[in-house]
Amino acid sequence: MSAAFARALLQPDAPCPAGLKTWNGSDPAKRFAVYRNNVVVSLVDALADSFPVVQALVGEEFFRALAAEFARANPPRSPVLAWYGDGFADFVENFPPAAGLPYLADVARLEWLRVEAWHAADAKPLPLAEMAARLADEAALPALRLALHPSLRLLRSAHPVVSLWAAHQAEDVSAALGATDFADAEAALVVRDGLDVDILRIEPGAAEFVESLLRGAALGEAAQTAAPFDLPATLGLLLRSGTIIEATPSGRIS
Amino acid sequence: MTNANPHRLFRGGAAPAALPARGGIGLKPEHYQYILDTRPAIGFFEVHAENYMVAGGPFHHYLERIRADTPLSIHGVGLSIGGDGPLDEAHLDRLAVLLARYRPESFSEHLAWSSHGGAFFNDLLPAPYNAGTLARVCAHIDRVQERLGRSMLLENPATYVEFEASTMAETDFISEVVGRTGCGLLLDVNNLYVSCINHHRDARAYLRALPLAAVGEIHLAGHAREVDAAGAPMLIDSHDAPVAREVWDLYAYAISLTGPQPTLIERDNDIPEFPVLAAEARQAEIVMARHAKLEAAA
Amino acid sequence: MNKTITAASLALAFGTALTLAATPVAAQDKMADKEKCYGVAMKGKNDCKAGAGTSCAGTSKIDYQGNAWSMVPKGTCEKTASPTSPTGHGQLKEFKEKKA
Repeated sequence: MSAAFARALLQPDAPCPAGLKTWNGSDPAKRFAVYRNNVVVSLVDALADSFPVVQALVGEEFFRALAAEFARANPPRSPVLAWYGDGFADFVENFPPAAGLPYLADVARLEWLRVEAWHAADAKPLPLAEMAARLADEAALPALRLALHPSLRLLRSAHPVVSLWAAHQAEDVSAALGATDFADAEAALVVRDGLDVDILRIEPGAAEFVESLLRGAALGEAAQTAAPFDLPATLGLLLRSGTIIEATPSGRIS
Repeated sequence: MTNANPHRLFRGGAAPAALPARGGIGLKPEHYQYILDTRPAIGFFEVHAENYMVAGGPFHHYLERIRADTPLSIHGVGLSIGGDGPLDEAHLDRLAVLLARYRPESFSEHLAWSSHGGAFFNDLLPAPYNAGTLARVCAHIDRVQERLGRSMLLENPATYVEFEASTMAETDFISEVVGRTGCGLLLDVNNLYVSCINHHRDARAYLRALPLAAVGEIHLAGHAREVDAAGAPMLIDSHDAPVAREVWDLYAYAISLTGPQPTLIERDNDIPEFPVLAAEARQAEIVMARHAKLEAAA
Repeated sequence: MNKTITAASLALAFGTALTLAATPVAAQDKMADKEKCYGVAMKGKNDCKAGAGTSCAGTSKIDYQGNAWSMVPKGTCEKTASPTSPTGHGQLKEFKEKKA
């Protein structure tokens, strides 16, 4: 029974499933439509909540059409809707009507990382005083390993994704977008600082540095990046955003 | 009038403290900060389990603080108890973790299905009422109660269609489930009203036919009005409006039969300022107080 | 490739970083941002409602999705067609969300 019902839920043109009845003999299709529409509309609403900047960029009408296409082709695999939308960015990338906006998929990727960071595990930042104490042995610094906040995510894009995202947080979105150079490649660091998710633009070299730290590289090794970057400023950023949760002189960090 | 404790009906596991027979409110992120700032005197809060099946972050931050001094009901919307297939054990595990973390006074789920063939439809879908569905629903509830080590409440659904394959009345079906599994009943008065209009039933007779001794909580919500293909009224369980007058009337009737019950105001759409919902929760308490007064006078 | 990082240069970098991180001005900025971002922007996505007007409004949404393949994005992307001045590329810059 539910197989036929389930199939018809995701196919707007399919007839309503057989075996339904109504007290007054009215066409059950109209009543079945309540379910069919609620399924798709609720999933589109969930995507709209997770991808507000994508929606702003393409407009509500286009977004809802795009999201409905995605929802029908990729219904959730889990009842936990917080995680619905993994894969949306790839879908956007391959959605021909959006081909004129080459940056759109990466904006979706950035917004997805924001969702992940929002719900990631909690961890206390290492207090600055304790950090300072860990730095006392200067000779041991190159072997120091930093444990970073579980919400930390990185995105390297060929497009100015952080500027585009930030423009939509501005009072005057048009002016902010007007000031964006679309030739810019940008790297984003996404991290939850307290109850807010910060989206920070960092240099490509800094992204490389943080990626190495995430892989467990010691400080001295991680700081040797292909692209140059401002190490003090990057460390300051990590400290200020509460991203460093532990620093251990050597060996494994948990 | 007895105020039956559904936990008594479950044949195993320790019974947690019950929700108070007061007005409660569905907890929404929009109101987190207001609640922490003002600490309103609310009988209990209820959350949708699935929204808190994440590792950390703001949702847990606020729920922990709000739950610390207010009774809590955890209300699942994704277990698919009425589904064809086996229960999602991974989802049950997530529920067990959540219940261990928050130790809610009540856990409830729906008489509905939402998953099929690995896909989750995010809607509470109807099933035919017959021997096959009954066996599956009872087996699923047995498994839930066994895995979670506590009894659950099962909510009566709002439905828009009926099935030719149904051989039982919904009320008989629910009575059988309650009798066989020892679960309690979450009496959703709005669902009851919506379904009775949609299927042309007498709401009060329907209410009397339910296993009212097993009621452990009541839900109230707003609905939307539409019409079916023949122009007959069709109500939608939209949770986007104040509780309708007809539903308040039916609620007063239900309370006259069950005695005071933990009563939740559900609002999931067009969410107003918190005091608007608090006033509806107070209204429920007024209805219950009026009933208690009549009982005392009798 | 950066020159080999010495213990001394790491110590210097951390010294500067700690100063940056502890600067009262930055802390004040942070507080101000927090004030501005108060509240929870993301919603709980699971609930047990049916959309109001699903059979009408919902249908119209479904109807126009049939044309999704021939639709044109019409949002703020229309403002992105004429890029102008380059930004300070490469600088570290922090953005906060505005309140939802």
